Amino acid sequence: MMIALIRNEMLKLIRRKRLYIVMGILAAIIGIVSYGQYRHLKNLPHRNWRAEIQQRLAGYNNNLRRSPSDAPWARSMRAEIHRLQFYLDHDIDPNQPTSPMFVRGFANAAGFLLLPLLVAVLGSDIVSAEHAEGTDKLLLTRPVRRWKILASKLITLWIFTTITLLVGAILAYLISAPFLTRIGWSAPTFNGFGTGTMNFNPSSVRQLPLWKDALIAYGLEWYALLTVASIALLLSVVFRSSAGAIGTMLASLIAGTILTRLTPDWTSAKYLFVSALPLPDYYTGEPPPYDGMTMIFCILLLGAWALAAITAAFALFTNRDVFG
Amino acid sequence: MESTLLARDLRKVIGPRTIVDGVSLDIPAGEVFGFLGPNGAGKTTTIRMLVGLIKPTSGTVTICGYDLHRDFENAMRQIGCIVETPDLYRFMNGRENLEHFARMLGVGAAEIDRVAALVGLSHRLDQRVGTYSLGMRQRLGIAQALLGRPKLLILDEPANGLDPAGIREIRELLRSLAAEGMSVFVSSHLLAEVQLMCDRVAIIHKGRVLKEGSVDEMLAKDQTLEEMFIEITGGETVD
Repeated sequence: MMIALIRNEMLKLIRRKRLYIVMGILAAIIGIVSYGQYRHLKNLPHRNWRAEIQQRLAGYNNNLRRSPSDAPWARSMRAEIHRLQFYLDHDIDPNQPTSPMFVRGFANAAGFLLLPLLVAVLGSDIVSAEHAEGTDKLLLTRPVRRWKILASKLITLWIFTTITLLVGAILAYLISAPFLTRIGWSAPTFNGFGTGTMNFNPSSVRQLPLWKDALIAYGLEWYALLTVASIALLLSVVFRSSAGAIGTMLASLIAGTILTRLTPDWTSAKYLFVSALPLPDYYTGEPPPYDGMTMIFCILLLGAWALAAITAAFALFTNRDVFG
Repeated sequence: MESTLLARDLRKVIGPRTIVDGVSLDIPAGEVFGFLGPNGAGKTTTIRMLVGLIKPTSGTVTICGYDLHRDFENAMRQIGCIVETPDLYRFMNGRENLEHFARMLGVGAAEIDRVAALVGLSHRLDQRVGTYSLGMRQRLGIAQALLGRPKLLILDEPANGLDPAGIREIRELLRSLAAEGMSVFVSSHLLAEVQLMCDRVAIIHKGRVLKEGSVDEMLAKDQTLEEMFIEITGGETVD
């Protein structure tokens, strides 16, 4: 029975235009960014990356000396200095752009706003559209309990969230491949520059081949997106209109990024789901905006948000009266 | 004999307003039952309680012996319905819509062909529902309601959007289904239509059933249904 319900939901999602809009946006953005990379490469024929990095390091060190050391951005700058120094010491060009690196970078770049937004667009009308079009009167008067209907919608949304992420990765490779070097999946990557503490700790650095590193980043992004999908489901149940659901999701994503920048001393904001959303960034070594946000904390926090959203969505959906 | 639909003392209170105030209905197998009332009388709220879209504040609904609240799946298996407008998925064609609901019931392609033929829609099934006229959507809605051979058909204003020939066709279809033992619950404001189609009617006004009886009985007093309806409701309509 569940399989039949999921089949119905997938069919409806495919037949609506929304999915193609989402895929179109994904392809367009990846296309523009890869073209930008290509232009950038073409204009730098004789790159001396060692000099470039040394220059950046000097700049960072200057800034750091001129400012109070406890400024919130100082922490992230110090981490970046450690990272660049490490690449320099090991004679590895961290910015050598290749297709595999572009794919890997996509998880971080798209992870904090673009992908959550696209998932919100997909999810926001999965329940509300049935209400807006009046079809909920038929859907809910068949011999299927309401929790099963909502479960089939949630699973469908999770499936398409997964597909969106995979398509993003595949498009990032296919679109960038004509412009950039296509090989390099086994290039070494370095992560975990001990950003939790003030002191650089070389022993905490992990060295992984790029493909393994990319898998981990995509796994974390996948988990974060499932949380976004669960919250989108709740918004779709609450608002009964897809504009309200998309608007709220967009507002919270943007508010989250602004909040972490403008009010770094309001530490309770670390319990907001948007603070924990850029999991791939934290994995790569970007310091989280608030102290005490370890990877485990972020994963548990997102899980708690997803669970709460799903519980609320089911409680509301199975008990409420359906009026016209 | 067991009633197909048995509603006992249904009440719905929202805030300070009592929308439905103690409606009881008893429909035996094979009966075509007409549910009449001016706009705002509580018709639609009653129908939504009968099909589980709205939870009654008090009272029970039993369908073929299954309690709607406690045994939702078995109770709903006996019902096919259209509530208010026949809204189907406009971005899919007629067949895909029927397949969608057939999958929820666990019935197959043969059943889809059967119900499409019953409502005379077989030749238009592969067109998108967005291109259908209201009359065609009404037929598709009825076809959807007939999937899985329910024992009770609940139709809200089934004559809406149909031309006189279409109304007649649907009336004959419903009569023939009732002759096979299906119970049909029809709400309507077309009194002449109800007079032609129904065995028994109930008139609801301000949330209460004011009069109930067989169409023959009611007409025996040398009064048309319309005259009686106006007399009972005071000619009042609330839009």
